[in-house]
Amino acid sequence: MTPITARIRRALLYAVLVAGAFISVFPYLLVLLTAFKTQAQLSSTAPWLPGLPPTTDNLATMLSGDFPRFILNTAIMTAVLTAGQLVFTTFAAYAFARLRFRGRDVLFWLFVATMMVPSAVTMIPLFLIMRELDLVNTWYGLLIPYVLGTPYGIFLMRQFFKTLPAGLEEAARIDGAGPLTILLRVLLPLCRPALGTLAIITIISSWNSFLWPLIITSGDETKVITVAIATLKDGIGVDYHLMMAGSLIALAPMVVIFIFFQKYIVRSVVLTGLK
Amino acid sequence: MTSGTAQRRVAGAAGLARRAERPPRRRGRWHPYLFIGPSLFGVVAFLLLPMVIVIVLSLFDWELLSAPEFAGLDNYRRLIGDGETWHSLGVTVGYVLLSIPLQTVLALALALLLDRKITGMRFYRALFVVPWMATPIVLALIWSWIFDPRDGAINSALAMIGITGPDWLSDPAWALPAVALVSVWQYTGYNMLFFLAGLQGIPKELHDAAAIDGATSAQRFWRVTLPLLNPTMFFVMVTNMIGAFQVFDTVYAMTAGGPSRSTEVLNFRIFETAFKQFDFGYAATLSTLLFVIIFLVTVAQVRFFGKRTTYDLS
Repeated sequence: MTPITARIRRALLYAVLVAGAFISVFPYLLVLLTAFKTQAQLSSTAPWLPGLPPTTDNLATMLSGDFPRFILNTAIMTAVLTAGQLVFTTFAAYAFARLRFRGRDVLFWLFVATMMVPSAVTMIPLFLIMRELDLVNTWYGLLIPYVLGTPYGIFLMRQFFKTLPAGLEEAARIDGAGPLTILLRVLLPLCRPALGTLAIITIISSWNSFLWPLIITSGDETKVITVAIATLKDGIGVDYHLMMAGSLIALAPMVVIFIFFQKYIVRSVVLTGLK
Repeated sequence: MTSGTAQRRVAGAAGLARRAERPPRRRGRWHPYLFIGPSLFGVVAFLLLPMVIVIVLSLFDWELLSAPEFAGLDNYRRLIGDGETWHSLGVTVGYVLLSIPLQTVLALALALLLDRKITGMRFYRALFVVPWMATPIVLALIWSWIFDPRDGAINSALAMIGITGPDWLSDPAWALPAVALVSVWQYTGYNMLFFLAGLQGIPKELHDAAAIDGATSAQRFWRVTLPLLNPTMFFVMVTNMIGAFQVFDTVYAMTAGGPSRSTEVLNFRIFETAFKQFDFGYAATLSTLLFVIIFLVTVAQVRFFGKRTTYDLS
């Protein structure tokens, strides 16, 4: 290959990368630009140009309503579901990966098989179960079905526990430590990367969850941000400057988390063991 | 394993005196069950039990306020003659076909491009994953704005080169492709991560050997890279398909199934049947249909990819 064609190839490669990066970021950029425009600027300026002078009225309008409360509700839901996922998943994955017991393999395959059960299918019966328990439109109803962790989380953590050296527990076991002590004192400190990965996946999926909150909650006490956003259209019509201000508020926490923890997302891919 | 046993033997000899003082304790017998207990309860109560309920409920006629009435296979007979549901199934398949091939091929192409030494590689990789974390409901609003026929970004850009863009979300011909495009935008970068990890697991020697034997780069891709990417391809296809057959959020907030039912996917129809018409028995029948379809599609993929792949799940 001559240096010139190599250089053209390289230029082409970077052109594709820059185009891809631009397409990936463009909708976020649009949110940022539109959220600070007035209604007049919305039609007088091109969507990809800023409205000058920028206005903070849209954000102020959104923040003066019930939005902060819905954000708080979403944060509470996300925190509880993530804590539950981390605790219960770690225990189960540890048992499946490092302990011997009767029925272990059968139970593990049961868990793996349930990864295939579509959430769309369980939605109606879950609603009916919660209705039977009188938990519709309560925090309990919102949280209970998902607080005990997911089969996917167990699968991910088990894969990680399997990568730890086999002899790790031996010394502690000889000193008389039980499985609980071994897990908490010996293995858990080594699990930080895997726990970080599981945490970020759970945070993002909880924050983004929509169908279950839409079905199970109706009052403002438990309303989460996705449900509030979905009903925005009914309330304010097609006012994109206000909608984008709401979108900015809803996306901002996830963007911040992503910027700080994106390496954990890359790691989740490695953890599934697909090489 | 071997070093662990050896360690135990050595350490065991040292601890022999101590062990003799105490009766051997059967520690940890019940621990495993305690550890998996909460998760097992969750799986049984919130995944398996609902599956059973859905199937049982599909044999009943129940509109929530009245008592459920056993209806045998009536709901299934109704399903066979229900043209609107078959239309919804067609829309769902259309959505899958519009989104999955594109977001898989693009992801693989991007991964092949990025699988080399590039300055700023980590930066680009991070940017490509940015779409994945976006809240689908919020995305629906953003893309509604992008697709806005008058002031939206796409039609404004088209106007600059003298083209009048379609009405996108209010045009029955364009609405479904527009909704599918959001999925392509959201998942291409994340899928790329998996392909990239897969590509990096392929030994370089295989490519070198093929090159020495005179294989062109196209032959190397079809004969070496693609077959060895089978496990990754399997994972990406299965998870993406299971997700795409259940698409709901973007449809709900972008088009609400319209215009003239052109985006009414099956999951949206299930939602409407249950929570708008309160026809829970029939909604359960539709849920069963969706489950059977997802199950069959997944089994088909297991068989298709399984022929050429061995997995290590141990």
